[in-house]
Amino acid sequence: MAGIWLDVLDELAGTCTAHGRADLLRTVRQKRAQLLDPALRVLVVGEPDQGKSQLVNAIVTAQVCPVGDGRTTVLPTVVRHAETASAALVRTPPEPQATTAGSPATVERTQLPLDRIAAGVSGTLVPRSGSGPAHVEIGVPRALLGAGLVLVDTPGADGVAGSGGAAPVAALHRADTVLLVSDSTRELSVAELNMLLHLTRSHPNVVVVQTKTDLVPDWRAVADRNRRHLQEAGVPAPLIPVSAALRMRAAAGDDHQLNTESGFPLLIARLRRDLAGKSDTLARVSVTALARAVVEQLAAPLRAELDNQQATEREGPIARLHAAQREVDELRRCSTRWQNTLVDELGDLLSDVEYDMRERTRQILRAVDEAFDTADPLTGWDVFQDWLERSLTEAARENHEWLVQRCDWVARRVASNFARYGHHVLPPWSMAVPDDLADRLPQLECPPVDRFTLSQKLLTGMKGSYGGMLMFGLALTLAGMPMINPVSVGFGALLGGKSIRDEGKQMLRRRQSTVKAAVQRHVDDFFVAMTKDCRDTVRQVQRLLRDHFTALTEELQESIVESLRTAKQAAETDAAVRDRRQREIRAKMTGLARLYEQAQALTAARPGPVLLEQPA
Amino acid sequence: MTGAAGIEAAVRRLLHEAIDRCQNDPGVAGPLRHQLARLDRPVRVAVVGPWRCGKSTLLNALMGEVVAPVGEVAGGDAFVWYEDGPTPRATAWSADRPPQELAVARSASGMRVGLGGPAANGLTDVVVRWPTRSLRHLTLLDTPAFGADEPGPVVERVLTEADAVLHLTRDGRDGDLRLLEAGRESLVGQAAPVPVVLVRSRADETGGGQIDALLTARQLARRQQRDPRVAARCWHVVACSGAVGLAGRTLAEPEFAALAELARVPRPELAGHLLSADRFLRGELPVYLDTADRAALVDRLGLFGVRLATTLVRTGCDTRAKLAAELVRRSGLAELRESVHRLFVDRQGVLKARSALATVEAVARTRPAADGRALLGAVERVLAGAHEFAELRLFAALHGDRSGFDAETVEEARRLLGGEGSSLPARLGVEFDAPVRRLWEAATEAQRRWRERAEDPRLRLGQRRGAQVVARSCEGMLAELVDRSRRPAPA
Repeated sequence: MAGIWLDVLDELAGTCTAHGRADLLRTVRQKRAQLLDPALRVLVVGEPDQGKSQLVNAIVTAQVCPVGDGRTTVLPTVVRHAETASAALVRTPPEPQATTAGSPATVERTQLPLDRIAAGVSGTLVPRSGSGPAHVEIGVPRALLGAGLVLVDTPGADGVAGSGGAAPVAALHRADTVLLVSDSTRELSVAELNMLLHLTRSHPNVVVVQTKTDLVPDWRAVADRNRRHLQEAGVPAPLIPVSAALRMRAAAGDDHQLNTESGFPLLIARLRRDLAGKSDTLARVSVTALARAVVEQLAAPLRAELDNQQATEREGPIARLHAAQREVDELRRCSTRWQNTLVDELGDLLSDVEYDMRERTRQILRAVDEAFDTADPLTGWDVFQDWLERSLTEAARENHEWLVQRCDWVARRVASNFARYGHHVLPPWSMAVPDDLADRLPQLECPPVDRFTLSQKLLTGMKGSYGGMLMFGLALTLAGMPMINPVSVGFGALLGGKSIRDEGKQMLRRRQSTVKAAVQRHVDDFFVAMTKDCRDTVRQVQRLLRDHFTALTEELQESIVESLRTAKQAAETDAAVRDRRQREIRAKMTGLARLYEQAQALTAARPGPVLLEQPA
Repeated sequence: MTGAAGIEAAVRRLLHEAIDRCQNDPGVAGPLRHQLARLDRPVRVAVVGPWRCGKSTLLNALMGEVVAPVGEVAGGDAFVWYEDGPTPRATAWSADRPPQELAVARSASGMRVGLGGPAANGLTDVVVRWPTRSLRHLTLLDTPAFGADEPGPVVERVLTEADAVLHLTRDGRDGDLRLLEAGRESLVGQAAPVPVVLVRSRADETGGGQIDALLTARQLARRQQRDPRVAARCWHVVACSGAVGLAGRTLAEPEFAALAELARVPRPELAGHLLSADRFLRGELPVYLDTADRAALVDRLGLFGVRLATTLVRTGCDTRAKLAAELVRRSGLAELRESVHRLFVDRQGVLKARSALATVEAVARTRPAADGRALLGAVERVLAGAHEFAELRLFAALHGDRSGFDAETVEEARRLLGGEGSSLPARLGVEFDAPVRRLWEAATEAQRRWRERAEDPRLRLGQRRGAQVVARSCEGMLAELVDRSRRPAPA
């Protein structure tokens, strides 16, 4: 029978070694030794002044542990069988845990006279500091103890932290049965319930003993309420109400009825059953619990590692690879974007600048027209030529300045596409308004205008006066006057003058229109020249920008592709490593699960737990 | 309260100043006015302790009547105040409703307050007025049980509302004592912590309720008092069985008759019947005693109480009065009442001033900078100038036996500091009607002796400082005697 759980234990030990957990291995080995030991170790725990020592005394029906008068148990007391009553103070010198706990060579035993047990238990014989854990061992001749029962009385603990005690002899994991003592004067407190939860989680066999039932009349109600508290808290521990005082009295008077009344027969029967079933039922349950604890402890780091890996996957090389790919896409989008920007912006710029130029020249022409509606090109040509040259130069400069500004703006606009790479550098820029704009202007020659020369005037006057003189002379001949008379000569002169004036006006209008046409032509020439200039500039700028940003894009692309390549490589190697590790972990987890199932099967095979959870 | 006049006046002035400063803030001025009113009311003693440690029983025992509901949740999370009043009344206060009167029904040995129902939810305070002599100089405060580990709001409220604390514990564990550490960070808390008397309640259950349980409990209390961890926090440790004490104070004739009847049973036979409560209730007694009566007896006295009472009746307490007196004495209730009177009621002026100072300090810390600084400065001035607090501190040290003086000197110092009553004759250790001349002599003598001690280079620094405080107290008494001789004698 013992073989099965032993096998499981040995396998557990093997697994612990495989996982390199020496601490757990020690626990498993201790458990093995403890389970092979036929004695049943009963740990009595509880808050102070609940009657723990009195309970131990009542179980063995002897005053072994000192009670009463506010004497507090300070050292754990181990009560076991001995042929004659004896007591000893056992001290383990403080030593780092190099050797396994409890190796007999280091333990120091001092025999105690029986009347000094009280002093020993209250800790007065041991200097408090500097010495290691100590405990008192008491041997009494009792049949119940002879059967293999060992009782361990512990100092009262205030909370969960203190349960189990400091000394290794009172350690929780070395106990086979744990009795939690709480007295009948009140219900289980929250602290006690917490302690119970803690105990039952790490120990399979916990019994609540409700003492001092002799003291209060309503202990049954308290017991009922306690059972309900236990059920509500989910603590699978039975509750046994007892009265130590009645038991001691019954032992003194050999009164069986009183003994039954004390409630102890139930508790003792329970202990005997545990003792008898230790090598089988209890051992199975213990091994199952131990296996659960050990497997959980072993699995915890593995699980954490798995989780951790999943977490690093999100930020590891794979993530970097994805990021690099995104980067490549982004760069591609960026290059289309900047090219479009460049073409669009420059096209806009060109049309804007051309329009501006045209507008400016138009204004100049309008001014010229207005001026030459009245002025005579002959008289003010030089002034006019000066003015025209100045305004054209001015227009050309302003236009050019605007062009430069716009180009600059466009360059920045395109560069802004590269902002996220930190490369919003402008190309080496050397555009400025040229100084020699005035020299570039085509020379405006004075147009060939007809001058009204003196001979022409004479001729025209002669022509006009001739007609007039003839007209009037003929008419006057009819009146008998000679052809040439003062009147006809007068009219001739009048008409001659008029025709000279008319001719002069005509000549002026002709001159004006000639000059206007000439200026128009000149301005057109200027406009064409300037536009050509402007287009050239823009084209140059475009080429410059394109070259610059193309080079930049190529540079970026190269570095991004490089990082993509390395990321890809890293991701591939990393994935391989992780896959291997994950497979390892999975295999280990499967092994643990199998072990756990095996341990579970120990209790499932036989209705073990039923015995343990049977209400008393 | 002779020594307290100075500090009381100072605190009154301080309170007025604080109220002036906080006039336009009713949330702050309210508590200050409340404090001012409290200076003229009896000292407030809170009874605190963990769950089921016998708070209500002890309260009833102190009042001598069953007023507080026992064994049930008194008012949920409400604080229950017991005050002296002309007629029995109970008023419930809650945060969101107007105060309401609760039904009060007189019962055989006290009264029953109609708590419970939906009205009990959200109550913050229940004020019970009860005409009894015990409450004339003392207002008792029953508090909700607090948890084992965290001080929580209950302890905080107790520390602000009460002038003194009776801390109940079943066994005086460290966990219980830690709760008293709260509220020691403030100026006032450092200069003069809330005085605490530790009560080992349910003393009758010590050691399984044997007949010597109360003696054992008393020894334990003494031993605990010598424990420096306890002494640092508590003025005194008293063992007291509330149930036995209460039974003693309210022992009725039929109960005495039943106990006397029981005592007629031969001792060995009765011991068998008194082995357990079950046996006593169901067993066949040789004398006739109704089961209901037995149950009532066990309920009132506890099994230990029945054992003790029958033994007492057998050993000579043969009348109801004798038995009652003996029960009260043995239960430790007499000692507890004595301690409460000596330590709390006699020093109530200083204690109330201390509470008021603590409130002002708390208010000052919430005020805007200028106001707050001014008030804190005023608090500090009062604290520094008040010799009474130095006395309180030394008194606590003497109680904790941390002074290093020999027992006789400690005794004298304690007496001079008002440990046995704060009237001048009590402090100087002369007969109470001694003439002024005798008082003067005693005071001069004491002052000389303690001044010498204060300058004795062989003593330790702590001892010299203590002696200085005592000498200063003696000088205070001398000054008071001078005052008294100048004033016309009161009629």
